[in-house]
Amino acid sequence: MKIRTCKYFAKQSVKSIWRNKVMSLASIGSVMAALLVIGIFLILVLNVDYLAAKLESQVEIKVHLVDGLSDTIIGEIRKEIKGLSGVKDCVFVSKDKALKDFSESLGENSYLLEGLEGDNPLSDSFVVTLEDPRLAPQVTLAIKAMSNIENVVYGKEELEKLLDVTYFLRVGSLVIVAILLLISVFIISNTIKLTVYARRREIGIMKYIGATDWFVRGPFFLEGVLLGLIGSIISIGLLATGYYYIARYVEQQMFGLLVISLMPFQEVLKSLTVSLLAFGVVIGSLGSMISIRKFLKV
Amino acid sequence: MIELVNVSKTFSDGHKALKNINIKIDNGEFVFLVGPSGAGKSTLIKLLLKEIDPDQGNIIINGKDVTKLKRREIPYLRRNIGVVFQDFRLLQEKTVYENVAFAMEVVEASPKEIRRQVPIILSLVGLSKKSNLYPSQLSGGEQQRVSLARAIVNGPSILIADEPTGNLDPDTAWEVMKSLNEINHRGTTVLMATHAKDIVDAMRKRVIAIENGTIARDDKKGGYGI
Ligand SMILES: Nc1ncnc2c1ncn2[C@@H]1O[C@H](COP(=O)(O)OP(=O)(O)OP(=O)(O)O)[C@@H](O)[C@H]1O
Ligand SMILES: [Mg+2]
Repeated sequence: MKIRTCKYFAKQSVKSIWRNKVMSLASIGSVMAALLVIGIFLILVLNVDYLAAKLESQVEIKVHLVDGLSDTIIGEIRKEIKGLSGVKDCVFVSKDKALKDFSESLGENSYLLEGLEGDNPLSDSFVVTLEDPRLAPQVTLAIKAMSNIENVVYGKEELEKLLDVTYFLRVGSLVIVAILLLISVFIISNTIKLTVYARRREIGIMKYIGATDWFVRGPFFLEGVLLGLIGSIISIGLLATGYYYIARYVEQQMFGLLVISLMPFQEVLKSLTVSLLAFGVVIGSLGSMISIRKFLKV
Repeated sequence: MIELVNVSKTFSDGHKALKNINIKIDNGEFVFLVGPSGAGKSTLIKLLLKEIDPDQGNIIINGKDVTKLKRREIPYLRRNIGVVFQDFRLLQEKTVYENVAFAMEVVEASPKEIRRQVPIILSLVGLSKKSNLYPSQLSGGEQQRVSLARAIVNGPSILIADEPTGNLDPDTAWEVMKSLNEINHRGTTVLMATHAKDIVDAMRKRVIAIENGTIARDDKKGGYGI
């Protein structure tokens, strides 16, 4: 394609966007709204995945011991667990410490535990960390087979719950995203239809002069792509700004209790930019292709 | 060269607009296409431009069978055929110069060629002085000459005009005919459908008369007839 043809397409499409200001704004707005929602879901999914990966790497096995074991037996169990392959560390947590931790975690509500000091319902336990989280089931089985063990739990349930959340998030977002995409495609195709209508005389003349189909269609196609792109750039800007401040806020508020942390801004920005720009272009080209096919019989 | 061999066209409503037409027009000829309203003149022109396809017969233009052209080849056929209509079909928001230049932009001519060619063509149709005016500022005859200029600026070998003087008074009609004649003298084949009896009679060119979808007469140096 010749450069002057590109220039011609660019000029025509910008002119049409300007001429149909209201419809162009509506198109950009709808693309933006759709991409904002898509972007929010994307950020959620990214963060849940991020969290899941983090949790997975932090998998620990909690081994509760039967009550009233002597220090010697506890020491033996500890040695036995440490001897298992794949175990990185094994830390003893007495039931008193467990109760203290629990009460601390309740904060203001710790009064609920008052009076339990004398009759601690918790048990002594070991926190076992692994070299590889994938070894968790295997190590769990091995520990369960040992004596004096009350039960063994590892973060599996939490992880699975999280993965369930991710799943629903994905399915839910797919449905909503699909609907929003359709709406934007529809609005863009209507905008382009207006342009085609406004320029129908010119199109007729171009056909008689011997313009090729793609030459006639180029500006309309570009117009759709531009509308999609503008919408996506605005939504990326809004989402990135929002995420930046939220991530900063979360970090400041949760400092110290960093069980949960958000995905770093840079990484989110990268994924957002790539995927939303792509979505914008796809929405725009679909919208213009529909109207070109329907209204621009060249 | 234009050649129609056994061409028939029936519209979807069953109307037989053209019946078994045979015409041969050589390069550089000037041909009037006459006949009563509804005879099939515009239909014949649409066939040449491949706006519609005949249901029978062959149409050969410059050695190529138009009926066998693929969709994407049509633009290149049309670049070889300039067209002018009764209603001028100019773009109101473009100047005379821009209207003519537009025809070259559409076929992706270089700006250099455009700057060179447009003034030449405007002077050929006698509109050099009006090149910066808008169509609404021109007389009908001048507007039609702009559309003539646009039709020939890409150097087509054939110029087709469907009632180019239909909207013009006799004096301005003659302005346009002078330009058409000039274009023909430069080697372009001209085919003009018209009802203008005085013009046809005065020009003494080849006349093909169509009536009811058939060729009623084909005179080398004819007049309009009755
Ligand atoms: N798309 C169409 N569908 C059905 N009939 C048509 C169509 N186009 C033209 N016709 C008919 O074909 C016949 C020839 O029409 P055409 O336009 O070729 O006439 P013409 O010779 O150009 O007439 P005029 O001098 O009034 O322009 C007319 O009876 C017209 O009604
Ligand atoms: Mg006609």
